[in-house]
Amino acid sequence: MYVLLRQLATIRREAHLSRGRPRSLAIRHVDAGSCNGCEHEFGAVTNPFHDLQRHGLDIVASPRHADILLVTGPVTTRMVGPLLTAYRAMPEPRLVAALGDCALGCNVLGDPAEIVGALEDVLSVNIRIPGCPPTPDAIAEHILAALAQERADHPW
Amino acid sequence: VTAIEHVAPRAWRETVAQALLDGERFGGAWASGREGSLAWRALLTSPEGQRVISCQPSERQVESIIDLVEAAGWDEREAHDLHGLAFFGHSPLRALATHLDDPAQWMTPVTGDGVHQVAVGPIHAGVIESGHFRFHVVGERILAVDPRLFYKHRGLERAAEGSDSEGALPYAQRACGACAVANTIAYTHAIETALGLRPDRELRITRTVLLELERLYNHLHDIGAICAGVGFAPGSMAFAALKDRAQQINQRAFGHRFLFGSVRVGRGPVELDASSTDAARGALRELHADTAAAWRELEFAGSVHARLDGVGVLALADAQRLGAVGPAARAAGIREDVRSASPRLAYDGFTPASPAAASGDVAARLRIRAIELETTYELLEGLLMQPLAQGTTAGGGTAATLGVGTVESPRGVTMCAVELDGTRVARMHLRTGSYANWPAVTHAAAGNLLPDFPLINKSFELCYACVDR
Repeated sequence: MYVLLRQLATIRREAHLSRGRPRSLAIRHVDAGSCNGCEHEFGAVTNPFHDLQRHGLDIVASPRHADILLVTGPVTTRMVGPLLTAYRAMPEPRLVAALGDCALGCNVLGDPAEIVGALEDVLSVNIRIPGCPPTPDAIAEHILAALAQERADHPW
Repeated sequence: VTAIEHVAPRAWRETVAQALLDGERFGGAWASGREGSLAWRALLTSPEGQRVISCQPSERQVESIIDLVEAAGWDEREAHDLHGLAFFGHSPLRALATHLDDPAQWMTPVTGDGVHQVAVGPIHAGVIESGHFRFHVVGERILAVDPRLFYKHRGLERAAEGSDSEGALPYAQRACGACAVANTIAYTHAIETALGLRPDRELRITRTVLLELERLYNHLHDIGAICAGVGFAPGSMAFAALKDRAQQINQRAFGHRFLFGSVRVGRGPVELDASSTDAARGALRELHADTAAAWRELEFAGSVHARLDGVGVLALADAQRLGAVGPAARAAGIREDVRSASPRLAYDGFTPASPAAASGDVAARLRIRAIELETTYELLEGLLMQPLAQGTTAGGGTAATLGVGTVESPRGVTMCAVELDGTRVARMHLRTGSYANWPAVTHAAAGNLLPDFPLINKSFELCYACVDR
């Protein structure tokens, strides 16, 4: 079976056949302390203008169904626990995306005593989406580019 | 307001009681100062104006006023948690901002046959802000809800202390993305009052345009959210698309979909030339026509209205008692809107919207937004008849150490109080429409079915971010 699959892979690669549509991935969002701007824009990616689903990406309700944990906001001291609980509930392999400048640790405002830090300080980040807030187009572009890169790095 | 009226701590209750008898209304309260010299202040408003009263509690203890003003409940709980003030007569004083493990410290005690709890959040099933709700239910029926917010508390007010007048503005803005314009304009009103600055006509017009553009995309969003709350995809998709078009107008006119960076202290950093205002007006007219068409479709969706009528009722008396504001209050029959008393903005001759039937339910909160959208389109059509100039402020007023600004945000009156120490901001307090309305949400939810809570919640569509700060 394994040999057959490898042969199939070789044939596809030599024929420059892609694996078809990008792998369909499910995203679970967690607000770790944002201003609600990123939530509005991440909500807008599913509106009729941007329609994230056409790229094979969908937003799911449970971390148990998710491939990507997409986090907004600087991580507050009160959200770090629930954030890690959601991360641990996800099946592997899993990716972590930082949505917006706050999650990336840029220009974060607030009392240092109330904020743990950027998402990077809590979880290792695979996908970085800058912007304040990132536009719906930018969100889709960054996630798709990161997935294309992921496929290039790990073809099979 | 620019002056603080000091009263003795033992005269605090009496002063508030007398003010209420005289027809004044509670507009928010905040603690100010540090260890040793903590002051407790309250804003009182009346048609004649505003005043701020203050007392210096001894031993960090002051008499509660919640039996006089129920709307002060959250203000007192917050001051207790964040500033260590104790309130006599506020019993039990439940934790609001502090998260304690012991449920008795923050939950309403509910007991009886078949009573059980349903815990929801802080992470919810959709793309929603973080916050926890503890429902006390019998079967599917909600007896009481304890909202536990402040998961997103970033200490913005404390962090803003010590900034100069321009430097504190980003903290007011960052409190909430969807109310960024309202929050920053409330802040500029407060600081400009304190500095004795008055906006010229150009600045008043530009700021009014920004506020209405913010209301436009928010109200469109909120109508779509109510549709989503009953699973009516055609409505939620139609209004999500309309909201996006409104934000595209923001982007083209002012370079940002949420209008970030369009408000500054003492001046307007944005302007629009004649061709840009014409373009914006044209786009808004098209959006207006399509909004009207989408609304007509929604009005004839009988299955939607069957889910909205009589759900999540906020009665007039309860709205007044709990201090509800904004569209939620107007849907309950309170005919108030700060836009009708905004000399620092360009709302000349504005009258608050009133629904045909102020039934206070989800249906009324949906309808009031459609009515207000009409007003917003009309206001924008008029204000964009001429190019928008940057505008500026003129001095000449008396400088003071205190300023209070109020603005009608998409969710109701947002109050910002600023206290100055020389040129530095010693205290900045933001009490938004969302903050005022959360107690009304919990009240409106009681007695309803648990599966209707998301719908009731969306019909208020309050921000968590500007409450948590």
